[in-house]
Amino acid sequence: MSSEPASLSLTSVAQAIARKRLSSREATQSCLDRIGRWQPRLNAFMAIEAEAALAAADAADAALAKGQHGGALHGVPLAHKDMYYETGKVVTCGSKIRRDFVAAVTSTALQRLQHAGTIRLGSLQMAEFAYGPTGHNAHYGPVHNPWAFDHITGGSSSGSGAAVAARLTFAALGSDTGGSIRMPAHFCGVTGLKTTVGRVSRAGAMPLSQSLDTVGPLARSAEDCALLLGLMAGDDPDDPTAVADPVPDYVAAAQAPIKGLTIGVPAAFYVDDLDPEVARVLDEAIAIFRSEGAEIVQVALPDQRQLSAACQFVLAVEAAAFHKRWMIERPQDYGPQVLMRLQNGLAVPAISYLEAMRWRGPALAAHRAAVSGIDAVIAPVAPVAAPTIAESDLGNSPDAEAVIQRLTRFTRPINYLGLPSLAIPSGFTRRGLPVGMQLIGASFDEATLLRIGAAFQRATDFHNRAPEFA
Amino acid sequence: MTRPTQREIKAMAEVAGVPVSADVAARIADSLGPAFEGFAAIAGTLPFDLEPATFAVVQGADRTTKADQ
Repeated sequence: MSSEPASLSLTSVAQAIARKRLSSREATQSCLDRIGRWQPRLNAFMAIEAEAALAAADAADAALAKGQHGGALHGVPLAHKDMYYETGKVVTCGSKIRRDFVAAVTSTALQRLQHAGTIRLGSLQMAEFAYGPTGHNAHYGPVHNPWAFDHITGGSSSGSGAAVAARLTFAALGSDTGGSIRMPAHFCGVTGLKTTVGRVSRAGAMPLSQSLDTVGPLARSAEDCALLLGLMAGDDPDDPTAVADPVPDYVAAAQAPIKGLTIGVPAAFYVDDLDPEVARVLDEAIAIFRSEGAEIVQVALPDQRQLSAACQFVLAVEAAAFHKRWMIERPQDYGPQVLMRLQNGLAVPAISYLEAMRWRGPALAAHRAAVSGIDAVIAPVAPVAAPTIAESDLGNSPDAEAVIQRLTRFTRPINYLGLPSLAIPSGFTRRGLPVGMQLIGASFDEATLLRIGAAFQRATDFHNRAPEFA
Repeated sequence: MTRPTQREIKAMAEVAGVPVSADVAARIADSLGPAFEGFAAIAGTLPFDLEPATFAVVQGADRTTKADQ
């Protein structure tokens, strides 16, 4: 495994190609070889475009031979969650309804990565319309966790989590509306960055909730996430919600030590009712941060259940509004659980939705006050490691929503507040399942999260461990 | 704020143009109940001059703080 080009980090493979120590074809072929072995067990890819990827790799190598270096990720093969529009490509959004949908535009995030020189391996599986936290998909089957095939990957960026963990792609775009990057990062043992609302353009990305949707990467390290965010962030005339602030040098930020930074540990909610192994990993992670020179303080956060409830109102209503036409015309073409969750949005009164939207500012202000003087808050991503596929296959059973809400209770409050959060591999259960932690930062301060995450990864090797093919 | 009843949900869905059966309305009531309970302390308490755009203003305070550093 370690000698395979596919085992390199995104940063390393980009440097190796740029310095001509490795060709784009070798990197691409290595990924394709692994995809060939793993895909039958994982179901991580929606589409594999081997011939086109190799042709693009050859073109990248030829350009480099002529002295034409296309960008920071010249010739690097990637695959992304199948909800990023690319002109002329089928983008299923994990759905039956869009099984044959051909995009007429290319999403801004993809454009920027392509401009940096990436080439396309194919597209990655996802929960139907990004509306599910487990990785189940009624139309295309569940994605399997590469650490234990009978366990879930988490969702909705299920294919992204599995493919990055199994070293089938050097990184992948996901999206996070209620936890959809952090959940698969936690369950699959990879690094995932949920960005601040407004940090990365959402133009050309399938919408789920216009107030909560965020674009972000899943990769093997905080350093790799820093590289990708720096390429994607910034204003965009096609998305007026993307802020025009200068984009920090995230890669440089990730090199800085964390001595003198302050990390808050919530006094309640995020430490309640944890599986003992998740609690152990949290304690061990805190000890590592302390040993790296960070000051650890306890922090009393505002009532997170209220934030979670508000998030549920906003997400349910906005998702239902996007899907209303298909709910009327094609209800039979949704998976049972997704239709069930979309129907929830019909029952939230407009006044409740607008109260949830109006409260968002005061809620964020209260959070800012609570974390004053703290650089990041550490919290679990989920109260448990990956459940089995069988035990989490709830369909539209009466208790499905309650189980989903319990599973995502540590991620939803952060989406409501629009904050950035970096999920990092932090340990393993005795059964060998990954456990991640999230670092929650201030709005638009992804740089500090990447700095803390990278420092943790210089002190540990959890992010470098890869599942073996059994 | 109290959670909507099954009958109210059925009426709301019909008004929205996406009618649901009584069973589905009952299931929705159960699903959303905890959210209404969780938000009850906020509902009906917000000050008059509060707009949703306040969120962007508070977000902007963090951007200003960072720019000053």
